[in-house]
Amino acid sequence: MRIRTFRARTMAAAMSAARAELGPDALMLGSRRVTEGVELTAAVEPADDIAPLAPLAQAEVSAPVIPLTPAVLHEPLGPIAAALAAHGLPEMFRNHLAASPDLAATLAGALRFEGLPLGPGSAVLVVGPPGAGKTLTVAKLATRLRLAGGTPRVIAADGRRAGAVEQLAAFTRLLGIDLIAAPHPATVLRALATNRGTAPTLIDTAGLDPFDAGEREEIAALAAASGAAVALTIPAGMDAMEAADMAEAMAETGARHLLATRLDLARRIGAIPAAAIGGGLAIAEAGTGPGAADGLGPLTAEALAARLLNPPAARLARASAA
Amino acid sequence: MTAHAVLAATTTAPEQGAAGRLIAIASGKGGVGKTWLAITLSHALAQRGRNVLLVDGDLGLANVDVQIGLQVGRDLSGLLKGERAEALATPVPDAGFSVLAGRSGSGALAQLTPEQIEVILAGLAEAKGFGTVILDIGAGLDRTARRLASVADTLLVVTTEEPTALTDAYACLKLAALDRPGGDRRIVVNMAGTQASGERTWLGLRKAAENFLKVSPPLAGVVRRDARVSEAIRRQVPFLTRHPGAEAASDIGRLAAILAP
Repeated sequence: MRIRTFRARTMAAAMSAARAELGPDALMLGSRRVTEGVELTAAVEPADDIAPLAPLAQAEVSAPVIPLTPAVLHEPLGPIAAALAAHGLPEMFRNHLAASPDLAATLAGALRFEGLPLGPGSAVLVVGPPGAGKTLTVAKLATRLRLAGGTPRVIAADGRRAGAVEQLAAFTRLLGIDLIAAPHPATVLRALATNRGTAPTLIDTAGLDPFDAGEREEIAALAAASGAAVALTIPAGMDAMEAADMAEAMAETGARHLLATRLDLARRIGAIPAAAIGGGLAIAEAGTGPGAADGLGPLTAEALAARLLNPPAARLARASAA
Repeated sequence: MTAHAVLAATTTAPEQGAAGRLIAIASGKGGVGKTWLAITLSHALAQRGRNVLLVDGDLGLANVDVQIGLQVGRDLSGLLKGERAEALATPVPDAGFSVLAGRSGSGALAQLTPEQIEVILAGLAEAKGFGTVILDIGAGLDRTARRLASVADTLLVVTTEEPTALTDAYACLKLAALDRPGGDRRIVVNMAGTQASGERTWLGLRKAAENFLKVSPPLAGVVRRDARVSEAIRRQVPFLTRHPGAEAASDIGRLAAILAP
């Protein structure tokens, strides 16, 4: 394995530097924020032919090494790569996911799919950029827990946006659960500590700028002090590279889960795999409709593969239909 | 609250599960603190009541005895003459474990034939007096190192956060996967800046292993960088004896508790 680190102002720039030097198969091992931007560690595995220790009767011929000639690099895209490209997934991600003809299996191996930690006494901080759908997602999660017979606690920690608490209160009233308004981190911690019990706690937060170190630190501190898991909300239709960068940044605050929203309203959903890869996030839930009771569900590798393999119809077709 | 504590609180706990009797420690690269880790882990396991034999498998450049200022009379070469490991091992005073040295100045162990390696391994298997055998494998990925790594019940692959160490740790994993598919291999990140950065290093290495080797080595533990380690080595005193309250000592303690629950 050949490892190289790349520093650049943005994740995208670091990735293209990695790709330029290591080729399209470069695997992103990890990254961290540094003063000048990001440091990306990437690796490639050159083909070799190391024999096992135990003497085995085997042919001495190793697999042919395909040289990275321009001809190979500019080969027309296969059907999977083409579908992924139509979803706005940059080449770096496409190359990982289009390696095998079974996209569902590739996704299952490359990404993590696991539910939110909503066990007894758990707490989940739902974070994300403004307008990502955090509040509605919290409402949907609360509804599901309520329908399952539980009494989740819901904390509105959004002290910035006018009407944020009222929006969530409209749902919790219907569900017959109290909404705890906690506009400051200290009040969130106090609310969490009070009557904690075994019911899971959902915490809706104010929209944040994932690229603002101060705002990230605030979430990180809240998560650390409360022991809450951090789940990042990303709208499915967001630019894939932007989503990957956001997930990457939020992973630094401890975010481990991805809540994808608006799958019903987006045609290009490259943001979902990009965010999952970029931040190493487990895909937990997907918003698939406006209904509080039925508009959210787990996303499987198969379902994601099916969506990705049905790329949006070309824009031209829409134009001619109009 | 620091970002480090945040990550530490939210990332997955290290893989649990008792290690086997023969625990080998390898890194590929030298200078990652492998021998120190082998000594300190042996000490910590002894403190947990295990009867531990630390074997200096760094046959060319063995230095376990030097690190802890131990006067050894006998070494591994006695196994080749049919002597028992129990008779060749030197107890470390007040530390509760014994050391089977890799040399006593003769240099005879640097060039062992594959057959002689098998005789040594058989001798270690025979040493029933020791419930746990820690095998410190030398730097490099030569045939001897590969053979020693492949017979271990549990292989701890040590890396630091540096790309060179990661590359060699990966090579260790690759050869181990080749030489003994399906074995118990775990990662130890030594000299980590923080628990969180150590876990990130492991995640990167695991990602490479998952993608290129189709294996997913779990994290055995992160040991944080500690200036007192080199101070203890300079003084030739076991680390847990000199600095039992150090952060690195508690990290090793946690690792020992996972390997010997």
